[in-house]
Amino acid sequence: MASSYSQEWRSVCDTFRNAQTLSDIESRKDPENDPFRSKYKARDLLKEILTVLKSFDTGETEDDDNDAECQTEEPVDGGKGEACGRRCPGDSNAGIRAAKLGVIEYYLGVNHVETEELSAGEEHLMKCMKLLDRCTITQENVSLCIQARNQLGILWAGRDETEKAQGFLETAESIYIRYMKEDGQPPMDLTEFFVGEEDQLSQQERTKRFELAYTHTLYYLAQVYKNLEQFERAGKYCHSTLQRQLELNQFVPLEWAINAATLSQYYITKTRYMEGRHCLAAASVIAGLAGEVPSEAAAQESEIEYEKREQLRQKRAEIARCWIKYCLNLMQDAKKLLEDNIGELDVDRQAELSRVRRNEEEERERERKSTVLFSSSDTFDSICALEDKVSCIFPLDFEEARAVFLVGQNYVGQAKEYFEMDGHVTDHIEILQDHSALFKVLAFFEEDLERRCKMHKRRVDMLEPICKDLNAQYYLLVCRQLQFELAETYYEMMDLKLAVADRQDDLDAHTVKKFNTLCSASMKYYEKFLDTARSPDGKFPDKLEDEVLRPALVAKFRVARLQSKLISASPTVQIENLSRSLEAYRFVVQYCEENPEARPAVETELELSEEMVSLLPIKINRIRAKIAVN
Amino acid sequence: MVENMKGKIRVFCRIRPMNRTEIARGDSTIVSRLDEYSITVETARGQREFQFDRIFDTQCSQEEVFQDTNRLIQSAIDGFNVCIFAYGQTGSGKTYTMVGDKHLKNPGIIPRTFNKIFDIIHKNEAKFDIKVSAYMLELYNERLQDLFVSPAEAFSKRIEMKKDKKGLVFAQGAETKQAASPSELFALFEQGCANRHIAATKMNVESSRSHLIIGIMVENRNLTNGTVCYGKLSLVDLAGSERAAKTGAKDGQLKEANSINKSLSALGDVISALSSDQPHVPYRNNKLTQAMQDSLGGNAKTLMFVNISPSDCNVEETLTSLIYATRVKAITNNAQRNMDSKEIAQLKEIIVKLRSGQPVEEEDVQ
Repeated sequence: MASSYSQEWRSVCDTFRNAQTLSDIESRKDPENDPFRSKYKARDLLKEILTVLKSFDTGETEDDDNDAECQTEEPVDGGKGEACGRRCPGDSNAGIRAAKLGVIEYYLGVNHVETEELSAGEEHLMKCMKLLDRCTITQENVSLCIQARNQLGILWAGRDETEKAQGFLETAESIYIRYMKEDGQPPMDLTEFFVGEEDQLSQQERTKRFELAYTHTLYYLAQVYKNLEQFERAGKYCHSTLQRQLELNQFVPLEWAINAATLSQYYITKTRYMEGRHCLAAASVIAGLAGEVPSEAAAQESEIEYEKREQLRQKRAEIARCWIKYCLNLMQDAKKLLEDNIGELDVDRQAELSRVRRNEEEERERERKSTVLFSSSDTFDSICALEDKVSCIFPLDFEEARAVFLVGQNYVGQAKEYFEMDGHVTDHIEILQDHSALFKVLAFFEEDLERRCKMHKRRVDMLEPICKDLNAQYYLLVCRQLQFELAETYYEMMDLKLAVADRQDDLDAHTVKKFNTLCSASMKYYEKFLDTARSPDGKFPDKLEDEVLRPALVAKFRVARLQSKLISASPTVQIENLSRSLEAYRFVVQYCEENPEARPAVETELELSEEMVSLLPIKINRIRAKIAVN
Repeated sequence: MVENMKGKIRVFCRIRPMNRTEIARGDSTIVSRLDEYSITVETARGQREFQFDRIFDTQCSQEEVFQDTNRLIQSAIDGFNVCIFAYGQTGSGKTYTMVGDKHLKNPGIIPRTFNKIFDIIHKNEAKFDIKVSAYMLELYNERLQDLFVSPAEAFSKRIEMKKDKKGLVFAQGAETKQAASPSELFALFEQGCANRHIAATKMNVESSRSHLIIGIMVENRNLTNGTVCYGKLSLVDLAGSERAAKTGAKDGQLKEANSINKSLSALGDVISALSSDQPHVPYRNNKLTQAMQDSLGGNAKTLMFVNISPSDCNVEETLTSLIYATRVKAITNNAQRNMDSKEIAQLKEIIVKLRSGQPVEEEDVQ
């Protein structure tokens, strides 16, 4: 072609480059009151290019026939390939011309969207699509096909038209899959249409940019599915997005790690512990890539180092907390499968589950192989190593449970290092509550009653000091949780002490004293809890708030039980205890009489309270009679 | 997302009237109040409905809006921990609700709160000795800044939230100033605002992107029996919820183009939303949560005002971190069934025995 064409072409390329610079770089410096200045300039340049490109067309002859043919086709979105018959090959002159125009229309579309002119943006993007629909999908235009649809997906999602967005994005997805299957060559990047030969991108760079575009497709689809409340699918796409980020090395370590850790929590809600474990292991490994934690000294010196230290320590501690939840939930879900109707380990179920587990070995192996794994060559081994440290199948006996417990306990230590009490009260206590829960569920697996009791004692030792320390009004909810938990734990211990004595057929004075102490401690905490419902002048409310209703009535019910459980040789004391018990049962009955809407919340307890209210006086009288006789 | 907050926080919605510009432009109202608890918004896709604990429409006065806040202030003085948040786009009426109009002809929540505190103090002068002090902070770009000192001084100070011996969360490193009257409190507030403005102009900070936190501490000594209780009232004016739009590129945080949707940093939001009962959600932008967490921790007295404009409703989800901090938490898990069952089984046995006239000792029944 004549040199004037090349010169003209060069100037088009220059204009394009300027437009990009204005849009991407200069725009960041635009002032508050004129934020789109550079973008508007870029827009003008792009429009110039469009005019010039179209003027080139009038010079061409050989492809006009093809164009005419192509123009008779109905523009089709869905781009599923050759469904409508004759299309120009994407790599023909006509195809390339269409692509060039398409690229400019694309950038104009994005420009309008970025300056909040959605309708105009849509128009340009649709024009881009129409141009490309006349052509087959080739190395030249596939990236543009996908990116245009990505943009349209975002645009429609922004207008709350989620299904429309879904359409565009799912098409982009199938275009990618098909292209990779049938062709697979590193596609041209959008910018390459307007650069000189010498500035063409390497295969590697092309692949990188193309893959990034597809990662975005998956990422937008994840959002779309979430908005459509198809959470299972959304989760899958989140997982894929994360995996691609890792594979293509396009991620920020801490951010990626937190995302993976968060995803693990989703898997836990679905009891998919294998996937959950994989996410957590990957999260831990990748978080490790984020660098060394600056020392305390360095942090004192520099604000930047301080921030860095804070960030790293905090994120790693958050990941540790996710691990704690993993271990805890794994054990708790196992317990649900193993327990009988009064919460003890059912040995028959245990045997059954062992049998099932053995049979399912193969199934699990298959599952493992089909899971989308986070893999980049260097991290894969580290991730596997971490996974090997903890099981992902339900523990069925004490040994297995203990192994999981120890992993969880280790992470408790790690988490507490950052989430110290001072400065992170709520977080610190949550971690302690998790630690207590770990002990509680481990106790379920422990056969020896004495050892079980010791585990509960650990819980008490952990939570009691905190409970005493906290400002009850400031940390109202937390205090209530702790009081209730301590009351229940003391109750457990009391029951266990008695069970041990029973088995040994040995209820001596020492044991009785111990029993009564535990009994009283339990009562004390239930009473403390009930006190938190009182008004500042000490009055118990006539009507309990919703969130306190059931716990409060249950607390009263338990106090009633506990009062009658106290052991004493003295009939006078017995009467006193039983009277207090009766009083508490009466409270429950009376409250439900005065507040009938409360009944459903405590049906069973109410029923039993009513019984006891009628039966206890008889028992008390019997004891009185005994005293009279003596 | 607003739905998620409701069990724990009460959310009040306030719709402001159309302003002159909007009327002149001929904008139509797309927000209307359905009943006391719901509003409808006309979107391109049709009508959407939102539920709140109360709706204040354009007719409602400042006084009406303040009524519900009244009781909360009493709670703070009684020794509880109270938080009041205001949320909404710049121009949605947030400042009007929280502060009031110019010259305070129609004072908002903050000045009324100041007055109310001292009203209560005066009423109880005979029985209680109540002291009031305050701190004022700005949270911007993950950094807490003291607004009671000059911007220059504030820049070099580091503030952290800590728990003191009384169990209250306070801002370590921040100036706490005493006040003996509403006007003193208001003067402090104005000084803080002035400092905020200076800092904003100087450092090119968009005040609409920062959160304002006012902490009012109340020390209440019972003159009769000498007991002392401490309460706190936090007033938080949340950063504007408007879209980052053109500012995205300035932020430096978004890696791709400027729309929030295009940045993979939203991936975390998607993952967090997959299930409403995830065991633990590590929050990402959490300086706000960190600063407020322990203030919110456990207490049940939180109120959120959501301000919306009638011609554009943007009830967005910028409050992700706060939402996790205030997720509905039960006092006790329902999974206490096993304990109930064992206990209830025991009691049933006892009842059977009692009914049949048998003597029964508790310790025999296991």
